[in-house]
Amino acid sequence: MKISKNFLTQYVDIDCSLEQLCDKLTCAGIEVEEVESTEVVPKGIVVAKILERNPHPNADALSVCKVFNGTEEVQIVCGAPNCDAGKLVPLAAVGTVFKDGDGEFVIKKAKLRGVESFGMMCSGKELGLNDDHSGLMELPADSVPGTPLNDLLGADSCITVEVTPNRADWLSHYGIARDVACLLDTQAKLPEITIPEVKDVPERYKNLVTVMDNELCPRYTGRVIENVKVGPSPKWLQDKLTAIGLRPINNIVDISNYVLMELGQPLHVFDLDKLTEKRVVIRRANDGEKLELLDGKVVELKNRHLVIADAEKPVVLAGIMGGEESGVTEKTVNCLIESAVFFSSNIRSSSRELGVSSDSSYRYERGVDFDMAELASRRCAQLILELAGGELVTPLVDVSVPRPAEKVIPCRFERINKLLGISLSGAEISAIFRKLQLKVSDETAEGCVVTAPLFRLDLTNEADLAEEVARINGLAAIPLIPVTSKSVAPLRKDAYLKYQILREDLIGLGLFECYHYSTVSDKTALSDRRFKIEDVMILDNPLSLDLRCLRPSLFGEMLNTLERNIARRNLNLRLFEQGRVFCANPKMFPEERVEMCIMMTGSRHPELFSAELAQDIDFYDLKGTLEALFNKRRIVNYRFEAAEDARFVSGVCAKVVINGKCAGFLGEIAHDLTKGFKTTKKMYAAVLEVEAVLNGTQGKLLYKPFSMYPATDRDVAFVCDKNLEYSAVIDFIRKLKLAHLEKVELFDIFTDEKLGADKKSMAFKLTFRHAERTLTDDEINKSYHALRESLANKLNVELR
Amino acid sequence: MSSLLEKLQQSVLDVQAKLQQDSSAKSIEELRIQFLGRNGLLPALSKEMGSVPPEERKNVGIAFNISRKAIEEMLQDAKDAAGAVEAKKNSIDVTLPGRLANAGHKHPISIMIDECVNTFRRMGFIVAEGPEIEDVYHNFDALNTPMDHPSRDRGDTFYFADGRLLRSQTSPVQIRVMESQEPPVRIVAPGRCFRRDTPDATHGMNFHQIEGLYIDKDVSLADLKSILQNFAWEVFGEKINIRLRPHFFPFTEPSVEYDFSCIMCGGKGCPVCKNSGYIEIAGAGMVDPNVLRNVGYDPEIWSGYAFGLGIERLAMLRYRIGDIRYLYENDVRFLQQF
Repeated sequence: MKISKNFLTQYVDIDCSLEQLCDKLTCAGIEVEEVESTEVVPKGIVVAKILERNPHPNADALSVCKVFNGTEEVQIVCGAPNCDAGKLVPLAAVGTVFKDGDGEFVIKKAKLRGVESFGMMCSGKELGLNDDHSGLMELPADSVPGTPLNDLLGADSCITVEVTPNRADWLSHYGIARDVACLLDTQAKLPEITIPEVKDVPERYKNLVTVMDNELCPRYTGRVIENVKVGPSPKWLQDKLTAIGLRPINNIVDISNYVLMELGQPLHVFDLDKLTEKRVVIRRANDGEKLELLDGKVVELKNRHLVIADAEKPVVLAGIMGGEESGVTEKTVNCLIESAVFFSSNIRSSSRELGVSSDSSYRYERGVDFDMAELASRRCAQLILELAGGELVTPLVDVSVPRPAEKVIPCRFERINKLLGISLSGAEISAIFRKLQLKVSDETAEGCVVTAPLFRLDLTNEADLAEEVARINGLAAIPLIPVTSKSVAPLRKDAYLKYQILREDLIGLGLFECYHYSTVSDKTALSDRRFKIEDVMILDNPLSLDLRCLRPSLFGEMLNTLERNIARRNLNLRLFEQGRVFCANPKMFPEERVEMCIMMTGSRHPELFSAELAQDIDFYDLKGTLEALFNKRRIVNYRFEAAEDARFVSGVCAKVVINGKCAGFLGEIAHDLTKGFKTTKKMYAAVLEVEAVLNGTQGKLLYKPFSMYPATDRDVAFVCDKNLEYSAVIDFIRKLKLAHLEKVELFDIFTDEKLGADKKSMAFKLTFRHAERTLTDDEINKSYHALRESLANKLNVELR
Repeated sequence: MSSLLEKLQQSVLDVQAKLQQDSSAKSIEELRIQFLGRNGLLPALSKEMGSVPPEERKNVGIAFNISRKAIEEMLQDAKDAAGAVEAKKNSIDVTLPGRLANAGHKHPISIMIDECVNTFRRMGFIVAEGPEIEDVYHNFDALNTPMDHPSRDRGDTFYFADGRLLRSQTSPVQIRVMESQEPPVRIVAPGRCFRRDTPDATHGMNFHQIEGLYIDKDVSLADLKSILQNFAWEVFGEKINIRLRPHFFPFTEPSVEYDFSCIMCGGKGCPVCKNSGYIEIAGAGMVDPNVLRNVGYDPEIWSGYAFGLGIERLAMLRYRIGDIRYLYENDVRFLQQF
């Protein structure tokens, strides 16, 4: 909300600087967002007193003046006829910037016909204040030299504040003044309101107000003024409105806006003669009724919308916006002032639904003061009578439910102190309540009873009172106390630690961590081909249809990131993400779970400068990364099985099995998914269930002793069927349980025409070692030959 | 005996000539053996000294020494030169780029979450989690949010057809934790939240918060202020002071917003803090008695505070990242900076 300083000072004396005021407001919960000082004339123009006037030695039309600018005497060459000694005039000091259309010009020290001049004395026209260019603008004799001219001219400051939704009472200048008074330890004062007393409602207005729904309209007041003269508002009123960004329209409309901004009570003034039967009916709209609003928009109404109607049709969307037809115009003669209370929720939902809002709806949505309706109506009537003439012909026609009860809140002083961590006396606490215009009663040493006035609907319990104490006593006064670490639960119950450690492991493997949004397009969601659209969680109100899916997998967005990086010539990528994914199909996955995705492409060692060493990342780099992860996490019982999966190139894909359960897949990303990526390199991905990885670790970490005796190596090479998998060979050897065999390593594998098209050669290094002594050749050979024999006879390979 | 002198002279010339032809280490060694070795030319010539007349012996002796020295020096020089060449042959360009070990990088959001979590763990908090797909009860009702509060609107919060929603804050974790255990409670809950904001430089389709909750006997606003100040000191440095301002949240009373003194200018005023000297960080407050009642805690016995921090905002402030979208673009030139 915008507050004008000049507007505000009508209700409270402000004896501090603007900066201090803004600081106090912010620290009291009225956050100042912006301060704009309106400048009537450029900054740097001050009141100056002409001390001497002497003729210019070289020019008859010019005078050389000695001028006092509030701090020193300066010499000014002046061409105006009226620059006589003793006069008070505006002086633009050296450095003052004048706006001149789009450009600007700066007052500089200058020599005029050989005489130095330090500034410029100005006419009204030069300052843009009037059209008088006959001479210098003469200022009142009591002006003080040095005073900025803006201050003298009453220039205003506009303060934009953020009002929290619980403080509807701050949506007016008087409301703000109430708190400012409290902060400055003074009293806020309402304007004096006097209007002629009218005893009876004339017969012709007997049916002036009919309220059909007092739940949506608990209070409706009307007042009629006849024979008004609609015209422009006086300057003071126009200035007040323009200072807070409102456009003056005519005196009647301006008054209703002014009172709204003054007291926070929305008002509506009708042209009474345009209302059929000259009366208003407050009712729910009939389904399908139409209303053309002030802004030209036509809304089609439903029964849930409240309207002000005349005898025939809706004329106002209640509390939100007036209709095009019934508003005040230059031709208006008789008018009806509406000052009402509407049910806030209904106003909010109607305003949202119909897409119409206004300064009125903004206030009604937050709740207005039940008592203010009457006061604001009087204020409006007073100003109309003053500024537009006419006669008040009715008393307040007030159709109202009984006045709501004020909230009575018991307050315990000790409780307030304990909650805030301070120690104020009971007297200090109750003094704060009184300053805030809350009623205090039943005061004892232990506590008091606070009655919240109707403009403070936010106060309902003791904690609310504590907040008032904290706010007015100042949050800066809350002491800092030593922070004691208190453990109420063991760290092993920490839900995040395991994910944190897994992330560190993945980073330790050389992967870059990524973060993607959870909401994705259908295409991105479904690029993980495990999912169909019915398996995907769909938002009912997405930002756009393109972002309606909750990611079922990290695969899709990670693929987009690959493409984005490659398009930007970042070709060597090792990325991962660990994050939550969602599934709508309980047969596949739980609704929420944590997944990890790794993607790799580009050079294995991008910084290798020898061309022959530059090798591309392949399947085994990705697989090795996972194996390293498993080793690090002591996941022992895992295997990779050849698999087919639509996300991956056929034949270059494996299923990861941990402890007998599928933990995910890896492979070369299917080429049709990477079509258009601007690279020739192959791309690899792994998608794993994080829980499977976290739960894969078996047994406790216990130190295993190792042999200090020498090891002996033997090699074995053979030709076998091309389809014989490495893991089959290893499993075969392991199952032989050869004595003293410590390790088996593949060191060569190749195919060759000479071997035959369906054959390959494999060569393994076997390491033998004993834990407690050096092995003899005989012992080793026994195992070695047993192996060779088994390979030849049972695995049916051709030893070389 | 001038012929002996001539022979000596010739030897020096021969070595010089031969070195010019071939100055390899092998040739140098051959020349040393040929001229200076035990069976070399100079020792052989020295045997002829006996035949030199006594009056010339002194001069020939001097000539002998000069010649030997000259040859030795020539050979040594040649050897040094050859060594230098050899050394050069083995030397490497130490300025060539090293073969980088694969070093991973943690995302700034993770860095910030981890730092916050670790800091609060030091103060006795542990992490709790909750679902991102929430129900209206936990996200709004139990948090004392009025039925017609704008944050419930479909324009502000993402809903599913079944009426559930994507949590708009991490606060529902508070409720879930309190429902599942008796007080005292001392938790933080980092996590992803969703608001229906149109993406721009400071808004994304989701963001991360870290929620803090402490419920115990006699917890006060002073405890809250102190923990927030300590957090500021730990994570952003000891020069950072905090300021609390009254604010409004449905689930806390009193509610505050808290600011850091500007991390750029230290409070003097600069464009980052819009000349206010402070940067708005997040909201906090004393848990509203209605919230405690909703989870079955007696507000006459238990009190507590709650706070929330925006992770992206903290990361952007710390690293001076001007646009929140960079955090979700995953350009490796961005990622590798962290």
